[in-house]
Amino acid sequence: MDIFGSFALLLAFIAAVYAFCAGIAGIVTRRTLLTKSAHNAGMAVFGLVTLAVASLEYFFLTDNFSMEYVAAHSNRALPAYYKFAALWAGQEGSLLWWSFLLSTYVFFALFLNRKKHPELMPYVVVICAGVQIFFLTLNNFVASPFNVLGGPDASGTMRLAALSDGRGLNPLLQYPEMVIHPPILYLGYTGFTIPFAFALAALLGRYPGEKWIHVTRKWTMLAWCFQSVGILLGAHWAYAVLGWGGYWAWDPVENASLLPWITGTAFLHSVMMQEKRGMMKVWNVWLVFTTFMLCILGTLLTRSGVVSSVHAFAQSSIGNWFVGFLALVFIVCFWAYWLNRDYLRSDNQLDSLVSRESSFLFNNLILLAACFSVLWGTLFPVLSEWVQGNKISVGPPFFNKVNIPIALFLLFLTGVGPLLAWRKTSLDTLKRNFAWPLAAGIIAGVIAAIFGFREIYALICLILSVFVTLTIASEFYRGARVIASRDHTNLLTAIGELTMRNTRRYGGYIVHFAMVLIFIGVAGSAFNRDVQMEMGAGQSLKIGPYTVLCQNFDRLANNNFESERATLEVFRNGKSEMMLYPERRFFLASQVTETMVAVQTSPIWDLYVVYAGRSPETGKPVIHAYLNPLVKWIWFGGVVLVLGTLLAMLPNRRTALVLRPAETRERAWSEPRTSAVGAIARSDAHD
Amino acid sequence: MGAFALAAIAPLASVARAQESAHAKELGQKLMCVCGCNQILGSCNHVGCTYSHDMMKELEDRIARNEPDDLTLQAFVQEYGPTVLSSPPAKGFNRIAWIAPIVFPLVALALLWDVVRRWKHRGAVATASGPRVSADLIARAQRESNKDNEA
Repeated sequence: MDIFGSFALLLAFIAAVYAFCAGIAGIVTRRTLLTKSAHNAGMAVFGLVTLAVASLEYFFLTDNFSMEYVAAHSNRALPAYYKFAALWAGQEGSLLWWSFLLSTYVFFALFLNRKKHPELMPYVVVICAGVQIFFLTLNNFVASPFNVLGGPDASGTMRLAALSDGRGLNPLLQYPEMVIHPPILYLGYTGFTIPFAFALAALLGRYPGEKWIHVTRKWTMLAWCFQSVGILLGAHWAYAVLGWGGYWAWDPVENASLLPWITGTAFLHSVMMQEKRGMMKVWNVWLVFTTFMLCILGTLLTRSGVVSSVHAFAQSSIGNWFVGFLALVFIVCFWAYWLNRDYLRSDNQLDSLVSRESSFLFNNLILLAACFSVLWGTLFPVLSEWVQGNKISVGPPFFNKVNIPIALFLLFLTGVGPLLAWRKTSLDTLKRNFAWPLAAGIIAGVIAAIFGFREIYALICLILSVFVTLTIASEFYRGARVIASRDHTNLLTAIGELTMRNTRRYGGYIVHFAMVLIFIGVAGSAFNRDVQMEMGAGQSLKIGPYTVLCQNFDRLANNNFESERATLEVFRNGKSEMMLYPERRFFLASQVTETMVAVQTSPIWDLYVVYAGRSPETGKPVIHAYLNPLVKWIWFGGVVLVLGTLLAMLPNRRTALVLRPAETRERAWSEPRTSAVGAIARSDAHD
Repeated sequence: MGAFALAAIAPLASVARAQESAHAKELGQKLMCVCGCNQILGSCNHVGCTYSHDMMKELEDRIARNEPDDLTLQAFVQEYGPTVLSSPPAKGFNRIAWIAPIVFPLVALALLWDVVRRWKHRGAVATASGPRVSADLIARAQRESNKDNEA
């Protein structure tokens, strides 16, 4: 079975190499048969990598400890769902998982476009195959997950060895989120390969117009959505498992996941300028290239040991491979750009500084500044060591100081952008649109200040959150009011109708609102508080409106771990509200102790309790309780973000109605004057 | 909605500040735990950590002695090395860490300004630009317009 998995992986590598070579030959010789076979080989990679993944999963689920990778990351007592998730717990398996997700994306991208874009797709096949070759090279020859335990005996014959039990899964990964967080984050990372492939293909093939953007828009949004959810799930995992009371520590690996998300966000905005006005073509192409390269850089940071991190894999030489690949990708991108730079000339110029275009320009500038500051802070210890010979730390205080003002300015632009019209916005319109949302924001800020709000960033965040929410609400209201009065419907129905007529625009607004919710949740951290106390049975601590009474401590055990658990009763205003059970678990296979926090969550705050261990002096159990305000808003914001993105990916209702019957379209064109003018207006009004 | 939520938690701010250990917590944010867990000293809950407990105790002792913060931080740097500081000190080469995130957006802004200025200039000398409309559509609009005029 191990031979089956590694053989499938080797065949996948061969198929990818064939797709790459045949694809190039097909482009050069213009032989359709070659390009078609390359296309099919590109899709076949998916099937072969799936077989390899299925084979490794089989080893995990059947406790085959003759496999080195299985023995290192699983054990018999591990629950089945963690055995399944153990596939991506280590370097080799997670690289295989990366290849699998990449091949899945490539399969669907090639399959869905098999009869479309005959000029573009051969290039896409070659580029996708090139990326797959790199990862399959790692899977086959550098970090194979199919190595077996054992070695040659005295006679030189290979003997397999099997352990009676494995070393177990890293206890930090034994949490439900870890079953879904890595796959979803990887879906984000790998997903950006498709827009990258189409962008590079369009550039190399000098594909006319903005077709590649239309083709890849949904792929980009899908990857962006997965990346967003992956980041949030990671934050939730850190919150619930690491037990330090926070969800974001500016850890290098967290930062690595944020970087492509930032450039991806910039791309999703600036690409509209290319679609509507034929502007920023060079910028967009480089944003896609940069996003892809940042995905590779993120993987490099996670796996090379260049930066120290809670999440990083052990130091290994695999980083050199990623550096090489990154350099190669940059060279190819720059070469393609340099050869075809004339193809990227803007069709239009900026008409006014007060316009939607300029807001996108600023938005991109600020996002780029955020990306740079995160990258800079992440890599500065490496730079410092290189220049000064000694490493320094760049921790949360640095990132917070630099990035909070940038993030608040971005939040401000989130509110401003939608209020500006394409091409030019008059001062009167600006005043009319801005006046009352801004006034309401300031009033909210003044009221909060009167109530004792003194954290300046939280106060600014509050003002901007109100401002952005009201600008979004006013956008919905203005559009819906027109529909309601014309169709004689109620406002709620009209909002639904409006949203479905321009899903991209209104889905985008919902995503903006999700960001507001996330910002409010993050602003709440300015008011975090905590109490740490040695507690015996019958003792209590007070935090905020809660009194936490320790009832007792007990011990639990199962095949996987032994745990010491506190039973805490939580009172509010003298009334018993809930029971909390924070634990410390000792995992038998890995011989590692970890905390399991207990969280009581509500929209106002989370009561977050950690069983921190026993005091070295007294031997008494120590309970660390946190009151973390508004954390739930972050997770809720994540849900709204997904819904908004999914909505933005749906086709517009009106477009669907107009495009379906060909005769209707013909009739529309033949109508006098209004048809052509209307069509122009429609294309201009979109977004 | 956000206003209500943030206003509801506002009283916590003053209570949190009134706590006695606030100074140690604040200073603990400027230091890293040196056990290799990569966490801020004030937040380190690394299980079995042999450093954070002693470091926090030392911090509390120094604060109790009314030692100035700078001196305390310096003492920690001497004892544990420069990695103990959670952010780079703004002196020498490390000053670049703080300057670059300010300079970079400013340079980018200058470049952007130059691009916009050139765009505006080109826009002024070129024919009026508008939404991108296909040649067919323009021809059709012209035909329809002519028909109307003739009528």
